[in-house]
Amino acid sequence: MTPDKLVQIATENNEPEWFVQKRRMALDVMDELPLPEIQRFDFHNWQMTPDVSQKIRTSLQPNQNFVLTDIFDAINEYPELLQKYYMQKVIKPDENKFTAYHTAFMNQGIFLYVPKNTVIEDPIEINLEQNSQAPFISHILIVAEENTQFSFIQKMTTTGDQSAIANCIVEIVAQANSNIKYAAVDELGENVTSYLSRRAYVGQNAYVDWSIGMMNSGNTIADFDTDLYGEGSHSEIKVVDITSGRQQQGINTRVTNYGKHSIGHINQRGVIMDRSRLIFNGIGHIINGASGSNAEQQNRVLMMSSKAHGDANPILLIDENDVIAGHAASVGQVDQKQLYYLMSRGIDKKTAQRLVIRGFLGDVLVSIPSKQIREQLIQTIERKLENGQQVSENSK
Amino acid sequence: MATLEVKNLHVEIEDEERKTKKEILKGVNLEMKTGEIHAIMGPNGTGKSTLSQTIMGQSNYHVTEGDILLNGESILEMPVDERARKGLFLAMQYPAEIQGVTNAEFLRAAINARRPENDKISVMDFLKELDKNLELLDMSQKMTERYLNEGFSGGEKKRNEILQLLMIKPNFALLDEIDSGLDIDALKVVSKGVNSMRGDNFGALIITHYQRLLNYIQPDVVHVMMGGRIVKNGPADLALKLEKEGYAGLRDELGLDVKLVDED
Ligand SMILES: Nc1ncnc2c1ncn2[C@@H]1O[C@H](COP(=O)(O)OP(=O)(O)OP(=O)(O)O)[C@@H](O)[C@H]1O
Ligand SMILES: [Mg+2]
Repeated sequence: MTPDKLVQIATENNEPEWFVQKRRMALDVMDELPLPEIQRFDFHNWQMTPDVSQKIRTSLQPNQNFVLTDIFDAINEYPELLQKYYMQKVIKPDENKFTAYHTAFMNQGIFLYVPKNTVIEDPIEINLEQNSQAPFISHILIVAEENTQFSFIQKMTTTGDQSAIANCIVEIVAQANSNIKYAAVDELGENVTSYLSRRAYVGQNAYVDWSIGMMNSGNTIADFDTDLYGEGSHSEIKVVDITSGRQQQGINTRVTNYGKHSIGHINQRGVIMDRSRLIFNGIGHIINGASGSNAEQQNRVLMMSSKAHGDANPILLIDENDVIAGHAASVGQVDQKQLYYLMSRGIDKKTAQRLVIRGFLGDVLVSIPSKQIREQLIQTIERKLENGQQVSENSK
Repeated sequence: MATLEVKNLHVEIEDEERKTKKEILKGVNLEMKTGEIHAIMGPNGTGKSTLSQTIMGQSNYHVTEGDILLNGESILEMPVDERARKGLFLAMQYPAEIQGVTNAEFLRAAINARRPENDKISVMDFLKELDKNLELLDMSQKMTERYLNEGFSGGEKKRNEILQLLMIKPNFALLDEIDSGLDIDALKVVSKGVNSMRGDNFGALIITHYQRLLNYIQPDVVHVMMGGRIVKNGPADLALKLEKEGYAGLRDELGLDVKLVDED
């Protein structure tokens, strides 16, 4: 797309000058930027950057205690906040080709602003429905001011079965003493190729809890990042992933400890069925000066088929002495003892396998704070496993 | 009436490290009918668990000779789940733990596995049955919302095996050291559970080291196993005699050439 066309579309959409320029600059640098780096995973020939002209508006219930609004309304209604935070503080447009593409073509989004000292009792639930007729360049920006507390639940599904791409970014600014739980159940369709980038900036003594159910049926690359800037900041990152058919997924889950006494724990579980491929890179980076910090990770994958490919790859980069860091990784098969136990109660092999897989995912599932999300995710997992078992059956 | 027959059963196990095979059961014969309670006693390492696991169909145990018949039909070729649906149940010495699957959900899956697709148990019926059995076993409702055996104490696991027995209602139960690690109250509760199953449609094979359990669950027959064979059958008071005289006494009386573990 030409820069003029991009500017024209944005202006017609009522976007302010600074925002249009941000798009334009991103478009200018996009072609020179490298792809995001996902170790041991090759996706250089994925077509991920089509032109986008259509905008998608999102209608949301207004609330007295916080701001929850369509991003295009937010740009005009809260220009200072957006200028300060949107693709500015957490993720930068020029980090890689896909962040630049996102900035240039973002066509759907949500802005959540939670003012100082606000506690929101009920979880905020967002259902994103991607239509496979158009690219889906979705942005969620969450700004949590000091002393706030809330849960955010995001679900994402696809309607239609045409080939499409999705490029979804979530930025979270967690100011001092905020406490945020972000749960995602991603269920993009089989023909959707997606790039997911989610990152939190975590301030002093703030806490961010990520629970991510990667249940996409299509090819996916993901960057889940947490920057622990504040002293005493803390994050727990849980990722559960199931791949089936010929699906390819490369997942980077990264925590960077900048702040003293910061704590970051990664716990990932993947189930790889049929001929699919799943790479988990767990990246723990402790910056010099982050004394007393703690970075631990567990990456485990379960291979359900001899034709599947899987890898659990822990990467620790430690530039500070006074720290606690550790990792565990494994690639394994279904626990035969558990399978036998279930079958000895009359449960057929396939059902027993699904329950054992649930057991394997168990320690991540049980740490998901919301019971509701946990149960929904279990249902989704069950469905995905059943489909996966069906696919393997048919391809025998 | 249902029958379970073990005929001249020889079982081998493969030592995975040394890649060698070892024969553990060396011709076991046993006949049971529903309505009967049998007990098996015998020294450590003699093959009692092996027998129960082989009847259930655990794949590490290879039958090299003999047969196992359920109602006259050989079950050797049947997978574990099918044997279970045909009426066998094994309360294991070391039950598996599965995080993420609740006890209640597991029990329902086990019950429904026995029922046709269009006749699954209703939530109401299930809960009614569950409550009744929880009460009988003096277990709290909370135990069923916990993950299957996860973090259960030794005694709680045993109780949970019996809860499954009561919910599933098999024809034959193999109870492997269901009394080990139980305090005296729990022993009574577990026995009460097993006794509540007694009747024309239920038979049990109780593996135990302690005569005490048999005071609570009166057996019709006691079998003594040594060196991979059943070497003696007798009435309930055979257990009392064993308790007094030990296995070495019986071995010498029978003139057997068997080494007992504590003599190594
Ligand atoms: N999976 C296995 N791998 C290797 N050896 C085994 C295995 N299972 C059983 N054995 C061996 O077979 C023999 C019989 O074991 P089994 O567990 O059947 O004894 P048991 O009579 O139940 O003993 P206990 O009273 O101690 O429970 C033992 O020597 C044991 O080490
Ligand atoms: Mg034993």
